Amino acid sequence: MIHDPYDHHISRREAVARLSATAIGAAAIGVGAYFFHDRRSVHAAAPAIPDWRLPQTGASARTVVARGNDPAANVRRLITALGGMNKFVKKGESVLIKPNVGWDRLPDQGANTDPKVVAELVRLCKAAGAGRVIVADISVNDPTRCFTRTGILDAAKAAGADVIYAQQLKMVAADLSGYSAGMEVFAPLLTANRVINVPVVKHHSLSRVTIGMKNWMGVLGRGRNRLHQDIQRAMAELGAMFRPTLTVIDATRVLMRNGPQGGSLADVKQVGAIAAGIDPVLCDAWGATQLGLDPNSLGFISEAEQKGLGRSDVKLITELGVA
Amino acid sequence: MTWTRSIRILYQTSFLALFLWLLSRLAAGDTRAFPYSLFHHTDPLSAVGVVLGSGTLPGALIWSVALIVLCFLFGRAFCGWICPLGTLQQFFSWILSPRTRRESLLINRYRTWYAIKYYVLAALLIGSLAGSLQTGLLDPLSLSARGLASGFWPILPGGRPVPGGWLAALFFLAILVSSRFIPRLFCRALCPLGALLGCFSRLALFRIHCRRDACTGCVKCTFACQGGDEPLGDHRVGECHVCLNCIPACPENALSYRFLPPLPAQPPIPDISRRRMIGTAIGGIVLAPILRAAGGGRSAAHSHLIRPPGSLGENDFLTRCVKCSLCQQSCPTGAIHPAIAQAGVEGFWTPVIIPRRGFCEFACTRCGEVCPTGAITQLTAVRKTGYDGRPPVRIGTAFIHPGRCLPWAMNTPCIVCEEVCPTDPKALWFEEVDVVDRKGRTVHLQRPRVDPLRCVGCGICENKCPVGEEAAIRVTSVGETRDPLNKMILAP
Repeated sequence: MIHDPYDHHISRREAVARLSATAIGAAAIGVGAYFFHDRRSVHAAAPAIPDWRLPQTGASARTVVARGNDPAANVRRLITALGGMNKFVKKGESVLIKPNVGWDRLPDQGANTDPKVVAELVRLCKAAGAGRVIVADISVNDPTRCFTRTGILDAAKAAGADVIYAQQLKMVAADLSGYSAGMEVFAPLLTANRVINVPVVKHHSLSRVTIGMKNWMGVLGRGRNRLHQDIQRAMAELGAMFRPTLTVIDATRVLMRNGPQGGSLADVKQVGAIAAGIDPVLCDAWGATQLGLDPNSLGFISEAEQKGLGRSDVKLITELGVA
Repeated sequence: MTWTRSIRILYQTSFLALFLWLLSRLAAGDTRAFPYSLFHHTDPLSAVGVVLGSGTLPGALIWSVALIVLCFLFGRAFCGWICPLGTLQQFFSWILSPRTRRESLLINRYRTWYAIKYYVLAALLIGSLAGSLQTGLLDPLSLSARGLASGFWPILPGGRPVPGGWLAALFFLAILVSSRFIPRLFCRALCPLGALLGCFSRLALFRIHCRRDACTGCVKCTFACQGGDEPLGDHRVGECHVCLNCIPACPENALSYRFLPPLPAQPPIPDISRRRMIGTAIGGIVLAPILRAAGGGRSAAHSHLIRPPGSLGENDFLTRCVKCSLCQQSCPTGAIHPAIAQAGVEGFWTPVIIPRRGFCEFACTRCGEVCPTGAITQLTAVRKTGYDGRPPVRIGTAFIHPGRCLPWAMNTPCIVCEEVCPTDPKALWFEEVDVVDRKGRTVHLQRPRVDPLRCVGCGICENKCPVGEEAAIRVTSVGETRDPLNKMILAP
């Protein structure tokens, strides 16, 4: 089309083209406005916490205790007694192992899970054909110091785990209820197929004892310190929201006083026992007895039992004895 | 005066008067439901910025579509006929500067640096996309309301001082005074809303047309051109404010404003260089994290960052607040003030409550009603106060400072905080004690204590506390409903 600057009229074709362009522009704006208008200003519902349990029967449904000086051997015997790790972890599944790495303390001080226990669990998961095995926790002290000086970083890495802590641990929203509503959890928790809770048994100045259900506080982000205002109920709530595939209670060393941080070796008792099972309440009840406490005197254990999360009768536990 | 000019000036004065009248009604606490956010609801820049930042187009902001459609029909008629800042600049340009015809010609020619506004627009929109909405800083509607609310209303009789308000006032004045040197300098070179409308106006159906065979090139059309778009020859439709001054100015009657006129042989595009636009885009992307790194309320709550009741969580708030000052203007007690440092650089001029200057009236929901973008959600009085049986909307928690409190520190009876506390039951209660004073007399005291489960953080206790300049009971943001993590007590 030759443009003639002295022609004051436009062709029908050009008129149609320009009118169409404007109409399309107006339609695009209208459709865009309709699409975006009044969508919920609040974000979509946070993802739910998955249930990581696998149905277990027979031997693998037991709660067992092994004793001996070698924590790794104890873990192996426990898992064998429960029917092997492949009862809990299927080929290719990703596993999150959640130890207690809360404090900048050496293993002998008994404030954190023993690194040998963590490493052995990693090895067993890998041997069972697990895909990615992640070890993660949100420490109270500087996480780099905690993971390094507890020995968990080196031991778990050597066993083949991805150890995620400090800045690498991304926080995400999750559908939490009760006292922890609105708090964030670390991201690997929502992506793992199976979760193994590996707390250490120790004294706690407020809750008297810190074991498995208390260990879930380590997956929570900002605001978790609020839970201490009603710690017994908060622990039972956490136990109801986080349902692990397996619980392993480390009582290799038990911090009897000045918990949960301790420091003095005089407060540490060498017990040399580890318990494992799929019943988190029974595991915690056994842990409480290691501090000489009656499990039913602890609010969180009774409440968890009432919620149907497990049983608190330690007579149900099978002793494997010393190797 | 020609009839087009008369009608245009009538429109401009009417819209300016409406803008000022709505602001004045708002400040006067008029309880009638006027459309106080009318201008801000029709603002496409806010709409696009909020959509990019938050993924939502909240409430009445959808009226901005009307302005875009107006632009598709008539070009940037908003700039020349409606915009209050444009009108004020045009007026100041006229009154401050009697010019010779030669001067008028020189200052109304197009300059390539008028393209700066397109870079400004790009940087702001990309910043929104990166999660930091800053369009309000240069948006002419926000800017005008801000300059007037913080710079003009405070100097009226009975006006309340606004800390930091001079910043907005000075910027507003600078824009008006700059019109003395180049008319509508802000519109031509900086205005991101004008740039956005300029983009839409490229599809405008009605345009200025110059008959080439009649035009003698006398450039008289340029003398009073508001947009600086040079109507003769290759007319720049994206710059044109549709003031229509050029048409009667043409001695040859070569100019007309017509439906679907022939386009210039080479329709001029804005003088934007691709390389500079890429640089601007990178700048826009980088700006948001830099602003965030300067601190604020996103990652950690700030004690004095007390947002108006119904405000969204900080992240959502900062993708919606256009810093228009309407909430500030609407607050009956003068509690809402611009944040100078409380919300970080990113939250500069977003609203905060300063309880010592004004308290949040218990059943008042005015700020949420006028917020044009839903950064402050609209509450009902029943919902805000918790009379519907759900927990009330809290904006903070009051803390007693026993070192200053009269019954605590001075053994002097005082119950002011308790008597003004609006909740039911009151958040303030008394611990009754008998103490022996310096002269050996027994004094019965009611020492106030705060029940954090009842306190909504309204700040009337801090506002009314008789202890001089710094109150003995002070509100901080902890416990605010909008941030579930900025909480200290477990119970709801």
